[in-house]
Amino acid sequence: MPVPVIMPKVDMDQEKATIISWEKNEGDEVQYDETILTVETEKVAIDVTAPAAGTLVGILYKAGDVVPVATEIAYILKPGETLPNTPTVQTQASTTTQDPASVATKSPTPSAVQASPLALRVAEELHIPIQDVPTKHQKISKEDVEVYAASLKSPEQNSIVSTDKIAATPAARRISREIGIPLSSVSGTGPSDRIQAGDVLRVEKPSPAPSIDRQAEIVPLVGMRAKIANKMQASFQDAPHIAETIEVDVSRLESLKARLNDVAASNGKGKVSLTAIIVKLVAWALERHPYINTSLIDENIYLWNEVNIGVATALENGLIVPVVHGANRLSFTETAEKINDLSQRARQGRLELTEVQRGTFTISNLGMYGINQFRAIINPPEDAILAVGTVTRKPIVIDDKDTIAVRPMMSLTLSADHRVIDGVVAAKFLSDLASVIEHPELLLE
Amino acid sequence: MPEITYVEAIRSALREEMRRDERVFIIGEDIGRYGGAFGVTTGMLDEFGDKRIIETPISEPSIIGAAVGAAVVGMRPIAEIMFMDFTLLTLDQIGNQAAKMHYMFGGKATVPMVIRMPGGSGTGAAAQHSQSLETLLMHLPGLKVVTPSTPYDAKGLLLTAIRDLNPVCFIEHKLLYKTKGEVPEGEYTIPFGVADIKRDGTDLTIVSNGIMVRKALAVAERLAQEGINVEIIDPRTLVPLDSETIINSVIKTGKLLVIHEACETAGWAGEIMAVISSSRAFDYLDAPMRRLTGKNVPIPYNRVLERAAVPQEEDIEREIRAIVKGAY
Repeated sequence: MPVPVIMPKVDMDQEKATIISWEKNEGDEVQYDETILTVETEKVAIDVTAPAAGTLVGILYKAGDVVPVATEIAYILKPGETLPNTPTVQTQASTTTQDPASVATKSPTPSAVQASPLALRVAEELHIPIQDVPTKHQKISKEDVEVYAASLKSPEQNSIVSTDKIAATPAARRISREIGIPLSSVSGTGPSDRIQAGDVLRVEKPSPAPSIDRQAEIVPLVGMRAKIANKMQASFQDAPHIAETIEVDVSRLESLKARLNDVAASNGKGKVSLTAIIVKLVAWALERHPYINTSLIDENIYLWNEVNIGVATALENGLIVPVVHGANRLSFTETAEKINDLSQRARQGRLELTEVQRGTFTISNLGMYGINQFRAIINPPEDAILAVGTVTRKPIVIDDKDTIAVRPMMSLTLSADHRVIDGVVAAKFLSDLASVIEHPELLLE
Repeated sequence: MPEITYVEAIRSALREEMRRDERVFIIGEDIGRYGGAFGVTTGMLDEFGDKRIIETPISEPSIIGAAVGAAVVGMRPIAEIMFMDFTLLTLDQIGNQAAKMHYMFGGKATVPMVIRMPGGSGTGAAAQHSQSLETLLMHLPGLKVVTPSTPYDAKGLLLTAIRDLNPVCFIEHKLLYKTKGEVPEGEYTIPFGVADIKRDGTDLTIVSNGIMVRKALAVAERLAQEGINVEIIDPRTLVPLDSETIINSVIKTGKLLVIHEACETAGWAGEIMAVISSSRAFDYLDAPMRRLTGKNVPIPYNRVLERAAVPQEEDIEREIRAIVKGAY
């Protein structure tokens, strides 16, 4: 049986020792009790002697390595013995003359990386890929891993943790909420600087305006307004927005609208709005650009099979986004009817919950107010939103002979979550959308 | 209003109710000629005779078993357990029979019985005659648990207990027997589930029972001279518990201290704190809730150690000062 050489524990509180030097090399014959290496604890240097006579093999650590006590660091073989093929010493069994440094590379390590076993263990505990850890030495040490781990913690993360953990009594928290003084602006006088009710009450409430004499009607941020506020804040903060604008000639869209309205009128149906036509055309474009019709949820991008287009609808004191479900499967007239019904009931506050859920894309149209162009904030968890501007008749060059004509033009601005949607992906979508708006017959493809 | 002792208040409740209702009888050890271990039934054998003051052998299970049977067939037994420690001998009769019959017979049977049990330390009676086991009884659904702290409460609550249709554990603290208080002559009852605010205050809510109410009151009066105003609430009945009064008091003071002589581990102070932390009073707490209780030890025979095992006035004073000062 191979006899293991064990890192000794000489002090009661000793957890590890550093190998100073090997007196014997891989493959050397050693006598019982002969010094084979020197190690150093925090207090003393000691010689480690051979626990048996034989051949020293399977050296797992080199000089400079820090090794936990009671760890096997090498083996002594009697003549005719070989090392068992255990995971810790698998590569040494056949040859006893290997370079100690490469021997130390144990099985879990990616072959290209040199790291001490302790570094490997610490990296595993910290969930850090060992190959990411930089080192100035031949091998990655535990210290390298720890330094790298510390560098991963950004200052922002640290500050979030600390502000999260303000010690305050429930009463102090309640009063802070009620009178609108953030706990972060209060210094606590309780045990361990805990904030107590009195501490909050002692803080003078900062005046919201330069002069407290100024008059204003105060509307509390509650209900729908609070919901909008939170949602927009979260979206703008979480999703890095990019915006791309394209201008389209809507001549043919307008004639299409006129014809659809003629048909609708003769069938006794309601009017077909420009928004309805755009919804239908956007649905067509979304079917061709699956990455625009997505949601980023946790660590996954959901490429939705359904095309559900929300239409931002202004209310008296807020906004709601009723959703046209399966917009890609509806005709122009069906889309128009659906939108007319949804927006009418939205203004009456009679929408069902399901009618504002499961949107995959949103359209916001401010054209009727004369807005040329604007950028909208994405409606989470969707990844993109289309802002539709007003139709303006303006002179444009219509051919390569520099002929100028007056055409009804409209701008479309796509805001997209850049984490999911690349600039080119957004551009291709807008370009296809512009094509179908300028050439609605593409729908027949 | 005449001042009488706690013992006299209990005796007058027993006597008045036995005169009023001939179904009421008392059963227990040494309650006749001897007048009971603490003299509660002194003289009652002469008035009511041995058919209604029934002395038993030293067998607590027979006392409770007989009382349960009598109660079910329409009598109004009052069982006296000489020391509440011996209640442990009768847990099947109390917990499985008395407490459960009304429920298990679909309301067709009632068990109108009272178990009087002297509890608490302070008499040098050592570990088997000094315990405060109210928590044990609170944990058995079907039992009501009453712990009067004054002669007035003792009489009013005992009358309510005797007239209650199901079992009531009536715990009398031994050190309270000789204490005096004003008690009206004649009949009055105190409803269960109504706490009594023994002292109004603004700085700290103390919830306490039995002898500890008395100790807390004495400390509170002293501290009031320094401007520390403690509110003391005596739930009077731990089951049913008047949570509302405690919640409202904590909302007023923002601080809670529960004091009981019963041991700390799983003691009813934890129950009160749980009630508060899951109530609307939570948002008014301005310091950690605290409890001051008996230590988790058998009550020692040695007088010095016996004192040290349960909260004394100096402990209460120290704890109140610390909480009010914001030391926790």
